[in-house]
Amino acid sequence: MTRAATELPVPASEARRQLRYELISGLSGLGLAVFMWGHMLLVGSILTGAKGFDWLAGFLENYYIAQPTVVVISVLFIVHAVTASRKIPAKLEERRRMRDIAKALKRPAPHDVRDSDLAFQPHLESMLWIWQVRTGLVLLVLGSFHVLLLTVDVLTPMFGEIAGIESGSTLARVSGGLWLPYAVLLICVEFHASVGLYRLAVKWGVGSTLSRSALRRIEQVLFWAILGFGAVTLVVMAGWLDPPLAFLLDGAQ
Amino acid sequence: MGFLEERDLTDGRRLKFEIFRFNPEDSESAPHLDVFEIDEQPYMSLYIALNVIRETLDPSLMFDFACRSAICGSCGMLVNGRPALGCKTLTSALPETIRLHPLPVFKLVGDLSVDTGVWFREMVENTEAWIHAQQAFDPDGQEERMPDEVAQKIYESDRCIECGCCIAACGLANIEDGFLGAAGLNRICRFALDPRDSRDDSEWFEVVATERGVFGCIGLMACDDVCPKELPLLEHYAWLRRRALRAS
Amino acid sequence: MKPDSMIATDVLVIGGGLAGERAAIAAAEAGLDVLILSLVPPRRSHSCAAQGGMQAALGNCVKADGDSPTLHFLDTVRGSDWGADQEVVQIFAEQAPVAVRELAHYGTPWTRVRPGTNRYHIKGETVEIDEREENAGLIMHRDFGGTAKWRACYAGAGTGHSALYALDSVVAKLGIRVWDRAEAVALIHDGSRCHGAAVRCLRTGSHSAVLAKSTVIATGGYGRVYGQYTTNATINEGGGAAIALATGVVPLANMEAVQFHPTALSPSGILVTEGCRGDGGYLLDKNLDRFMVDAEPEKQELASRDVVSRHMMRCIRDGRGVDSEFGPHLWLDIRHLGIEHLTTKLREVWDICRDFVGVDPSKELVPVRPTQHYSMGGIRVNKDGEAYNMAGLFAVGEAGCWDMHGFNRLGGNSLAETIVTGMVIGRCAAERAAGSSIDVPTSLAFDAIAAAESRANAWLSRDGAGPSVFDIRDRMAETMIAKVGIFRTGSELTEAVETLRQLLGECGEAVLQSRGPGMNPELSFAIRLEGMLKLALVTAMGAAARTESRGAHYRTDFPMRNDAEWLNRTLARWPDGAAEPILEYEPVGLIDLPPGHRGYGADERVEMRRSVEVYNGSVDTEQTRLGRLPPGGPTGSQLKWGSWRNVT
Ligand SMILES: Cc1cc2nc3c(=O)[nH]c(=O)nc-3n(C[C@H](O)[C@H](O)[C@H](O)COP(=O)(O)OP(=O)(O)OC[C@H]3O[C@@H](n4cnc5c(N)ncnc54)[C@H](O)[C@@H]3O)c2cc1C
Ligand code: HEM
Ligand code: HEM
Ligand code: SF4
Ligand code: F3S
Ligand code: FES
Repeated sequence: MTRAATELPVPASEARRQLRYELISGLSGLGLAVFMWGHMLLVGSILTGAKGFDWLAGFLENYYIAQPTVVVISVLFIVHAVTASRKIPAKLEERRRMRDIAKALKRPAPHDVRDSDLAFQPHLESMLWIWQVRTGLVLLVLGSFHVLLLTVDVLTPMFGEIAGIESGSTLARVSGGLWLPYAVLLICVEFHASVGLYRLAVKWGVGSTLSRSALRRIEQVLFWAILGFGAVTLVVMAGWLDPPLAFLLDGAQ
Repeated sequence: MGFLEERDLTDGRRLKFEIFRFNPEDSESAPHLDVFEIDEQPYMSLYIALNVIRETLDPSLMFDFACRSAICGSCGMLVNGRPALGCKTLTSALPETIRLHPLPVFKLVGDLSVDTGVWFREMVENTEAWIHAQQAFDPDGQEERMPDEVAQKIYESDRCIECGCCIAACGLANIEDGFLGAAGLNRICRFALDPRDSRDDSEWFEVVATERGVFGCIGLMACDDVCPKELPLLEHYAWLRRRALRAS
Repeated sequence: MKPDSMIATDVLVIGGGLAGERAAIAAAEAGLDVLILSLVPPRRSHSCAAQGGMQAALGNCVKADGDSPTLHFLDTVRGSDWGADQEVVQIFAEQAPVAVRELAHYGTPWTRVRPGTNRYHIKGETVEIDEREENAGLIMHRDFGGTAKWRACYAGAGTGHSALYALDSVVAKLGIRVWDRAEAVALIHDGSRCHGAAVRCLRTGSHSAVLAKSTVIATGGYGRVYGQYTTNATINEGGGAAIALATGVVPLANMEAVQFHPTALSPSGILVTEGCRGDGGYLLDKNLDRFMVDAEPEKQELASRDVVSRHMMRCIRDGRGVDSEFGPHLWLDIRHLGIEHLTTKLREVWDICRDFVGVDPSKELVPVRPTQHYSMGGIRVNKDGEAYNMAGLFAVGEAGCWDMHGFNRLGGNSLAETIVTGMVIGRCAAERAAGSSIDVPTSLAFDAIAAAESRANAWLSRDGAGPSVFDIRDRMAETMIAKVGIFRTGSELTEAVETLRQLLGECGEAVLQSRGPGMNPELSFAIRLEGMLKLALVTAMGAAARTESRGAHYRTDFPMRNDAEWLNRTLARWPDGAAEPILEYEPVGLIDLPPGHRGYGADERVEMRRSVEVYNGSVDTEQTRLGRLPPGGPTGSQLKWGSWRNVT
């Protein structure tokens, strides 16, 4: 492998551009991830029953919180997709090579199981990155669709006497079959976000406060907790389970 | 004695080596795997094993060792797919079948031997990895002072032996020509830490903050996991990123 | 760099270790074109393996108070058992502080003085010493064997690594060309002037000639003549000394002076630094007894290496060694230094113990035994570093015998020697090159390439049933370790000479098994084997001839140092076509500090018969007769006569 000796240093403007890209993809990812937590809680209001959900949706729309959020998130979504995917290798051959390396890179065998290849795992973080790309692509498709759908839901009432987000239509479309893409979207987004946050933490701050393994544990807890919560929400929206927290609002009839 | 003895149960294993062979100087040679079998000995490292193979089975086998004590960085190779120093890898820590390949990314010299020297020299030139001193050396003067804590920090990053394992393990370095990789970034870090180096933040910024540099890295973290000198590579990255941010 | 069949440069440096790179820098700074050849990328040269430290009398910490180049001079001459050239030692001791500070300037992260209370382990006791605030941040020292003061400057336990990386960064900065995986296989010369070297490319196996106005050999030691019984890297096969010997006129000096390091790991032979003992480690026998305290009450574990190694071997012979399947060993105890110290100041030792013997040195004892480590001898040069009988050829570092080590090198003096010789001799080589032109008959170069090629082809074309080169190597190594080791006797040495002669004969009949194109590792080794055998033979013959004990050369049949007959230096030349080398002797150099007791080891010796004045009177004529080329300044011009009297 040979390289031109003139490559570095690059002009400051180019360096600054790279820094900007990195910041934008990281910050937009962070923003989306934080939004997703809030989003899961809000959608989770369905656990208290249709009333709670509708009240919340109405509140957010009436006070014009939802509308700007939708716009901001849509923009973040696009910006993140564009900046982050510049890191995705363009050629199939290159993506294969990365996968092969990740697979070949096994963890060192603990000495007491030297005879067993079973102790060897593909290199975790390399594999996580590959899955981040894959889930990102799923998000691109399903996420765009969902965001578009909800943008219409939220914004059209501003131009007429139509209801915005309401439990009726939500329950109808989810139980009507959207539960499947939502389930896929849910798994992908939670995986993508928690791994993304873990990676962000390592890239910018490792060593200063928490060790890498501690960060990994936090990542896993986040992933499973939110995935679990989302799954219950989804099951309720699909109508397979009665809202388990409905009793909370029972008195508020 | 130590914990090695417990694991070094030489139960008379017969080791099977599957070794990548290719001699670019030989027009008739084509890449393939050769299989060799030898008896395991106590404390057998891949340095010992490969020499046994060369001296008793196939004297044309090419590989590189020099210090055989994990300090010169000559002997990086893929051991069952994972980059490691051959001299430091004991067979007792491996399964019976051991597959050896040369490190990827670097130019192949032959069999397990790769040209790391040229790659690293270019990296050093590209990043100007030397002290950019303010003043000329004064042979009659006392040395410049430096707090020992700073010296230790520099030493910690100076310990890289340029074995190339981190480069070979990094998926990105494998597909991206010119990515400096962990070793390159660590080298930048070493000089950026050094108060004797007069380059200021803005000059560093142009070396660090590129897609060949720290913003090329996508955080695969394999470098950190394979580094035989256990350098805190990720810590160094994070430091460089934060510093680049400040410098901009 | 791509090999060409003919390359011209001003200064050719053969070897990219500390000595070679420092010499190359000196030449490049003088504005000359320089080319470095090396078997491996320069940063992989064996200098990188040096752990413990580099001696330079900076006198920065409390235990170094009052240190001076003069004290360094005294320690070094005593350490050498008066075999050193005292003028050279003087130059060395004066320049070492400059060279070490320059390395700091180049970026070596020397460990620094920490002001305030520091805890040290000295002679079995823990002491607290307040380092002075005014010295805060200056280069720190650690204790090493055979020195009056703490003098070894160090960067953790990776001194050689850090120094080499700093120098190589300057080599890159100056744009010095490096051709790695290249081996000098012969010198191009006309019998009295050197014009460069014939080079074999270790990527392709092809040969080229490098023509140069000055040629500097910096190829390091030849420990691999002892096979696996050495701390040296596999590349330390003495290539430089061998090609100098092959000129037929350049002598090798004091090859019998071979150092055994007390603390190499058993069984791998990997070194753990003297810094372990310098920082307060103990040697223990199988009863966990500190035998060095009885043997050397004054210096204990920190007597010179030859002395400590002999005490260890005696201890093992007395049945106090620890038995293991790899033979007996002793223990190194550094547990009391504490994990913090072990993982910072002795970090590489900690790693090595863990990785190669599976020992946690903060809790367990480390198995060690003396092992071949260093060659005091080498290519004989004058005080400017120019080889005897060969103008334009220089030698620096371990490959040369400038002669500041005599018959025993002090720990830490070798690293310092590499950079001091690189600096001082590198400048001389540059001056010589600047004042001359390349006027070589091209036939000389073509002949050299043709000869090298035909030697390689001879190996490739030899068929039939012959011994293997690896087998010959193993028998050489067994002979050397068994008979030319720490304790030597006349009869064993004679046997060794006999065996080595026979092996040299067999070398001409050995047959290769691989004949493929390219570098061919078996062929590469075969090409070196004859040279290695010759170095071994010169070593054994020198040892057989020297009927006294001096420094590392210890004859059980002549246990005393004999200043009446042997206060001299062995010179071995191997004339063209001769069956064996010629041994001659020259005075060690001008004597300022008269021979006496070293302060450790045995105090029995045969006194000089001549007066020092008479001895000194013979030095110039004798050395010139044996081929010493005239140095820049007159002999003795750099000696500070009697300066040592002020400090003793
Ligand atoms: C394990 C160990 C630890 C040590 N620790 C210390 C210490 O703490 N303090 C101390 O003072 N000393 C120490 N020493 C000794 C010291 O390290 C060496 O003496 C010194 O580094 C030698 O440096 P050099 O430049 O002369 O040779 P080297 O560093 O050995 O370099 C030799 C160079 O020559 C090249 N070469 C060889 N043959 C040829 C050829 N035919 N053609 C082309 N190139 C060739 C090689 O590639 C290499 O680049 C130690 C030695 C060992 C083995
Ligand atoms: C629209 C589809 C998306 C695609 C194609 C995509 C793609 C990617 C890719 C390739 C990366 C790795 C970038 C790198 O390593 O530098 C990444 C990082 C990240 N993504 Fe996404 N992503 C998408 C949507 C999302 C969403 C919806 C979220 C929030 C939940 C998100 C959160 C993150 C985070 C936090 C990171 C880490 C940023 C970093 O490492 O710099 N992404 N994304
Ligand atoms: C633009 C702002 C957004 C709004 C207003 C919004 C709103 C909603 C609503 C109302 C639901 C309930 C189901 C439905 O009505 O169809 C829902 C579910 C869901 N949304 Fe969003 N969403 C937004 C953005 C996103 C984004 C960017 C993603 C990820 C890419 C996402 C992922 C999901 C998932 C996975 C579910 C299923 C929830 C579960 O199972 O708990 N949403 N969202
Ligand atoms: S950083 Fe580690 S793995 Fe990479 S070259 Fe240096 S020592 Fe080898
Ligand atoms: S493996 Fe590669 S992508 Fe970055 S974290 Fe290490 S350099
Ligand atoms: S041989 Fe030097 S690192 Fe392995």
